[in-house]
Amino acid sequence: MALTALDIYKLLPKTNCKECGFPTCLAFAMRMAAGKATVDLCPHASGEAKATLGAAASPPLPKVLIGAGEREVVLGDETVLFRHEKTFCHPSAVAISVRDDLPDADFAARIEAIRGLAFERVGQRISVDLVALRCVSGDAGKYARRAGAAFEATGLPLVLLAPAGPLAAAADAVGASRPLLSPPPEDLEAGARLAAARKLPLRVRARGMGGLAPALATAREAGAASLVADPAPECAREAVADATTLRRLAILARNRDLAYPSAFDLGNGFPDPFLAAALLIAKYGSLLVMDTADPADLLPLLTLRQNLFTDPQRPIQVEPGIYPIGAPGESSPVLITTNFSLTYFTVRGDVEAARTPALLLISDCDGMSVLTAWAAGKFTGESIARQLAECGIADRVAHRTLILPGMVARLSGRIEELSKWRVLVGPQESSALPSYLRRLTAAAFAPSRG
Amino acid sequence: MTVSPSIPTFPGRILEVTLPAGPGGSPVVVGGQNALPLLPEGDHPHAPAVGMEIRTGPEELPPALAEVIGPFSGNPAALAQKCVSGWGARFLFLSLSGCNPDAGGQGVQDGAAIVREVLAATATPVIVGGCGDEDVDGRLFPAVAEAATRPVFLSYAEEKNYRLVAGAALAYGHGVVSWSPIDINIAKQINLLLADLGFPGERVLIDPLTGGLGYGLEYTYSIVERVRLAGLSGDAMLARPILCHLGDAWKAREASDASEPGWGDSALRGRRWEEATGLACLAAGADLLVCRHPENVKRLSEAAWR
Ligand code: B12
Ligand code: SF4
Repeated sequence: MALTALDIYKLLPKTNCKECGFPTCLAFAMRMAAGKATVDLCPHASGEAKATLGAAASPPLPKVLIGAGEREVVLGDETVLFRHEKTFCHPSAVAISVRDDLPDADFAARIEAIRGLAFERVGQRISVDLVALRCVSGDAGKYARRAGAAFEATGLPLVLLAPAGPLAAAADAVGASRPLLSPPPEDLEAGARLAAARKLPLRVRARGMGGLAPALATAREAGAASLVADPAPECAREAVADATTLRRLAILARNRDLAYPSAFDLGNGFPDPFLAAALLIAKYGSLLVMDTADPADLLPLLTLRQNLFTDPQRPIQVEPGIYPIGAPGESSPVLITTNFSLTYFTVRGDVEAARTPALLLISDCDGMSVLTAWAAGKFTGESIARQLAECGIADRVAHRTLILPGMVARLSGRIEELSKWRVLVGPQESSALPSYLRRLTAAAFAPSRG
Repeated sequence: MTVSPSIPTFPGRILEVTLPAGPGGSPVVVGGQNALPLLPEGDHPHAPAVGMEIRTGPEELPPALAEVIGPFSGNPAALAQKCVSGWGARFLFLSLSGCNPDAGGQGVQDGAAIVREVLAATATPVIVGGCGDEDVDGRLFPAVAEAATRPVFLSYAEEKNYRLVAGAALAYGHGVVSWSPIDINIAKQINLLLADLGFPGERVLIDPLTGGLGYGLEYTYSIVERVRLAGLSGDAMLARPILCHLGDAWKAREASDASEPGWGDSALRGRRWEEATGLACLAAGADLLVCRHPENVKRLSEAAWR
């Protein structure tokens, strides 16, 4: 549980010496309670105070890093149980598996398929995050070579699912890329020593909380510091229960022995992996290993992840302003919409499909869709007239004709009243824009004389 | 070694609601739980139920749906039988979309007649949905309430029409679905208004408006979680079973577009789009799911455990 300002105050020297930069110990305690200051600013704090306050300030769910550089994957470091309480921070990482014993051509094709699992949605790139290399051959040399090849071809961090021997060989080959070591339970100690020696993250797999507690302790004793807990469930139902328990232990109980980011191997015959993955994206799965590389499975799962991991306080949005599409001139159509990313990218795509150069005006609507913004009073005749007057669009085109989203046709009178612009009501769905724009004649955008 | 995880306990309990069946059919009972969904804690007397939507208006079906339900278009009663006996739907959501003036323009009496036909064709619980046109729905709900030969649920009662819908439902012994646009305060308000009219809580379901995957699902997800947490924490007006209608999932471009080869087979993708939407709703706390793809009745029921 988070400490209150009063709890913190009780641990401080209470001398109000001001050396921390705050007028009183209490003022400093209040800042700390708000998460805006840390105990090291007070030179007089006791060892006990430092230990207690230091631990309270560290995230309840530890952060584990896999990979390095641009494609680094962050697991854990979450602070809430429900996204509406604040936000979920680190999206469930998705690893797609490949077997090390595939013939060369099949191996290369599979890696290529994994590389292709990246999509553009509302201006964001959503893609799978890691490659999970399954050791089936048992051949350390081969496994290490395949690890090198997989990393080289994809640039994605690796999950190394292999017994101790091949694991060590692969760690030699690709250790610098910071893979996640994932030995089978019987090789836990050897894997943990390897993780300790090379400072690599380690996945600890053991059945349920009862199995994980001693296994995680064994890993820590061997010196492995960066741990991921895999409770090895047999079905989706157990997986959701285990993931929830781990997350609650972290957030509600501040447990330090078991509460690590969770990992689930949904391949290798796991029943109904799509179902389990969707539920674990909603319910606390930190890392999911999957055998499917079918985009028809992954696009929905990655979209679900994108949805649930957006900040509920801040919709994905774009900057308001004037967006040229194609190479517009002074007689190109001017269209207006809101700055909700989903709306903007949908409309933009449809205008692009029309192959008519155009100018798209984006209104500042706090990232709301057209109807939502209208209902909230953020997309009004007044706001649009103001934008037309102030944004400089009048200098970009010679005409004064604005195309309005069909859903807010009712705004057209007010806009015409308050501005010098004439309003054309466009279609309700922007998907009808290509045919709509084609039908408009050039006369609609003739220079105005007003 | 034993580990004692922190299991939250709640003072509240979700009201049990029964969707009545006809003679020989199985009623659907939902609610009654005092714990969060999908977890092995607290009481969950009833599993969530998965039903199917039947639309009466003409429409262009996405490829994934055209294959399976296309052959039944224009024949709601036959589709109803197939949904129940062929595909395992535990209830039906009959959307009288054909009564919308923009979509076919069936008359109010035509709509009521279809309701009677469907009720005659199957003994399964039925929720009857309006056509979305405020004026028409104002006449449609009373007509349906009168025409229905056994108790159904009327979807939807909202701030503007609740007196009329609840009045018609009360007069003929039906239930109502209380609707609000992804807003917990409005959801509570409309349930309060219904309670003030004396409408029995055991005949009310909450529909919080379900945004499809990629198109507002996250808003629905959090509203469902918040409604459920509020209900479990003791807010009686929100301690009601939640119905999520997955129809919006099919409006997504990704659920039907076959022109993007990099997106995989469009028939499977469309099905998955609806399935992922439904799974998220279950994880958030939905008690009833309305889907359109027959395979998803089976798929979603797999996750509808107690
Ligand atoms: C998700 C959602 C929300 C989210 C916000 C999402 C966001 N960031 O905007 C939340 C939950 C916060 C919300 C809140 C509200 N909402 Co709301 N919401 C929705 C929902 C489910 C989806 C909206 C969406 O994302 N649409 C997708 C985008 C892409 O659509 P779009 O912006 O309209 O763009 C399309 C068209 O307009 C057109 N288009 C867009 N730009 C242009 C430009 C041109 C030139 C042309 C030609 C066409 C065009 O093409 C696009 C693609 O088809 C809709 C219902 C629905 N299923 O549509 C209700 C809906 C919009 N909300 C509604 C309401 C009433 C509200 C609230 C007032 C409710 C309340 N009291 O809380 C609030 C208002 C906000 C506030 N006060 O804070 C109503 C609006 C009623 C009406 N008819 O005007 C709707 C329609 C629900 C309903 N049926 O009642 N909402
Ligand atoms: S430095 Fe330490 S003792 Fe001095 S005022 Fe700040 S908190 Fe109090």
